Amino acid sequence: MTGNPLLRLMFGLYLLIFFTYLLSPLVLMGITAFNASAFPKAAPWDCFTFEWFGVLADDSRIVDSIANSFVVGGFTVLLSMALGLAGALVLTQIWPRLRATYYTVVIAPILIPGVVLGISTLVFWGRLNSYLGLADDSLLRNGIFLTVLGQSTFIAAYCMLVFIARLQRFDPGLTEAALDLGATHTQAFRKVLLPFLKPAFVSAAVIAFLASFENYNTTTFTFGTYPTLTIELSQKVRYGIDPSISALAVIIVGLTVLAALVNEAHKRRQAIRAGLRVADVMPPARLPRFLAGNPAAIVLVLLTLGLVATAVYAQTYSPAACKFEVLEQKRLEAEARRQKMLEDLERRRGEAASEAPAAGATGSQNPNAGAFGGVFNPNNLGGEKTAPTPAEEAPSPFGGVFAPENLKSGEQQ
Amino acid sequence: MGAVGGFFERNGLLLGLYLLFGVGFWILVLIVLPQLAMLDLSFRHNLPPSLVGGPDDVYTLENYRHFLVGNPGNPDRLFLFGWDTGIPFNTIDISVFFRTILAALAVTLFDLLLCYPLAYYLGQSNIGGFGRIFLLLLVIPYWVNEILRAFAFRILFGNSGILNFLLLNLGIVDQPADFIRADVALYAGLGYAYILLMIFPIYNAIESLDRNQIEAARDLGSPWWRIHWRVVIPFAKPGIVSGCTMVFMLTAGALAAPQILGGPSSLWFTQIIYQWFNTGQNWARGSAYAVVLLFACVGLVLLLMRLFKVKMGEIGK
Repeated sequence: MTGNPLLRLMFGLYLLIFFTYLLSPLVLMGITAFNASAFPKAAPWDCFTFEWFGVLADDSRIVDSIANSFVVGGFTVLLSMALGLAGALVLTQIWPRLRATYYTVVIAPILIPGVVLGISTLVFWGRLNSYLGLADDSLLRNGIFLTVLGQSTFIAAYCMLVFIARLQRFDPGLTEAALDLGATHTQAFRKVLLPFLKPAFVSAAVIAFLASFENYNTTTFTFGTYPTLTIELSQKVRYGIDPSISALAVIIVGLTVLAALVNEAHKRRQAIRAGLRVADVMPPARLPRFLAGNPAAIVLVLLTLGLVATAVYAQTYSPAACKFEVLEQKRLEAEARRQKMLEDLERRRGEAASEAPAAGATGSQNPNAGAFGGVFNPNNLGGEKTAPTPAEEAPSPFGGVFAPENLKSGEQQ
Repeated sequence: MGAVGGFFERNGLLLGLYLLFGVGFWILVLIVLPQLAMLDLSFRHNLPPSLVGGPDDVYTLENYRHFLVGNPGNPDRLFLFGWDTGIPFNTIDISVFFRTILAALAVTLFDLLLCYPLAYYLGQSNIGGFGRIFLLLLVIPYWVNEILRAFAFRILFGNSGILNFLLLNLGIVDQPADFIRADVALYAGLGYAYILLMIFPIYNAIESLDRNQIEAARDLGSPWWRIHWRVVIPFAKPGIVSGCTMVFMLTAGALAAPQILGGPSSLWFTQIIYQWFNTGQNWARGSAYAVVLLFACVGLVLLLMRLFKVKMGEIGK
């Protein structure tokens, strides 16, 4: 960045907005997982609770779908890596004239919309199935089979990109040397090329599994009778939401952070083993030495603090008592509101009765005054609007007893 | 067939067979044949399984006709500049289609503007402690399930969501704002979903830019915006086009976010396709709509790539 202080300030502001946009939805969703409110919300805060994790564990459909996701993910990883590796190796050997066309064809599945891939897989295997005269419940119409093939169509391209990146640094002379020294092609492949590609295998497997695990667009057409976690979640979210979904998100984010930390630590150890000094790996910074340039340690410290705070809080605190209190408080509030409404009604009736004899005099000034306590008075309605959230907060001081919001809140409580 | 012989000579029989079968299976069985099957089905009538392959199973343009003119007896007419042409017109599907394409373009542009500064910063600064934290923070939301991300936005923007809670308590509004109905939540969620796919290609491109070029431009008196316009952006063009292509295709083809965040009166084109397949039970028509989506997206991307003079081989790097 330039030294211009205004630019620096704007850039700082931009970073703040960017990361607020990026992280606040997840953080807020995480908070809702611990709020006792039956609808996932971060505010107003009711009670701290772990019960949604229990609800999640008891949801057999979610648990079953996780098993399906792992089966699909496992097969998809194997198939995609096999296809992706073949695709990458062929790219290094194909005639230069064909290379661009070939690359376009195998990279296209990444760009084709996921719904199109799902539909085409479903249609193709369904027609092949009926062409071969197989039964409706044959392997070719099995949800797991179709999902694995549909997902592998584009996940193989992800794997291929990973392998291409690694292969670009491979010296083909190594394979030639092995062949010259009498190795067979298979031996050279197994003993020279595969060990060189090992890191790419790991990252391709991770990427393939994650892509399979979170895929929705393709799977939603192919899953048949084996819904994966994503499918099950989408059903849950579309037909009513509760905080156990947030609890699942907390678990997934937690696992993600953990995996990222392990990966970071692993990279660091490898770099140190490769002969770099510690100072090279950890760039100088103004933080304490243990934390210097070490995001893993920073996140770890934050996590530990959070865990300790949670544990201490849980020791001194009983969710059931708190929930009871909140319920009691809501009941009291509702009671008070009802009482006030009744009082208002009484008062207005009395006023109306006493005003009745003078109706001829006041009628011209206020034609709306009457048995309805002036609810149709435009001034009253105007006043109603300026009161903050009449439905949930204190009842309106303007006595608009028949205002729709008031009635609704009375019924709900 | 010298080339094939050379291929086996170079790889050996076993490895050669693996490569041939692997790539052949992928390209033919997974990519090309399914697309052809879908294209074929899109030109057929919606028949019960017993009639498939029978004398009624003939090619037809009916499904594409439906996309353009709707059901027979559709009262909507095509208006050109206010002039009634008298041609029946499938207003709903076509307006949803164009809305999807335009909204996807807008989301792509928004992501580009949002991500370019950070990608430039990450690409040009040495990735030290802060840079690595940024990368970690960027990757984590992407690893969270697509459904869960949309769900998070629903919590954020819902009627009793945190945003409305703040707005109400600060006295900015007196009624909860309906962000879902106004599609604010949908666009925010769609823009959010593919941020990473915009940042990384641009970051990769800018990372390989020699710092000296920027220094030279600065020494010669160029202001910062002209450095970007004349040096950085032309250099990063393949990355920018690559990121935009991916974000556009994924946004136009998104299904989860519109299903969860879409307002009750607004549809995404993929939702119409989904309805033909599931509730509509008309696979042929769903296939036709999918073909329309595919060709429109690919056509638009190719057009933009020609416009900005970027080759297909540079995508996905």
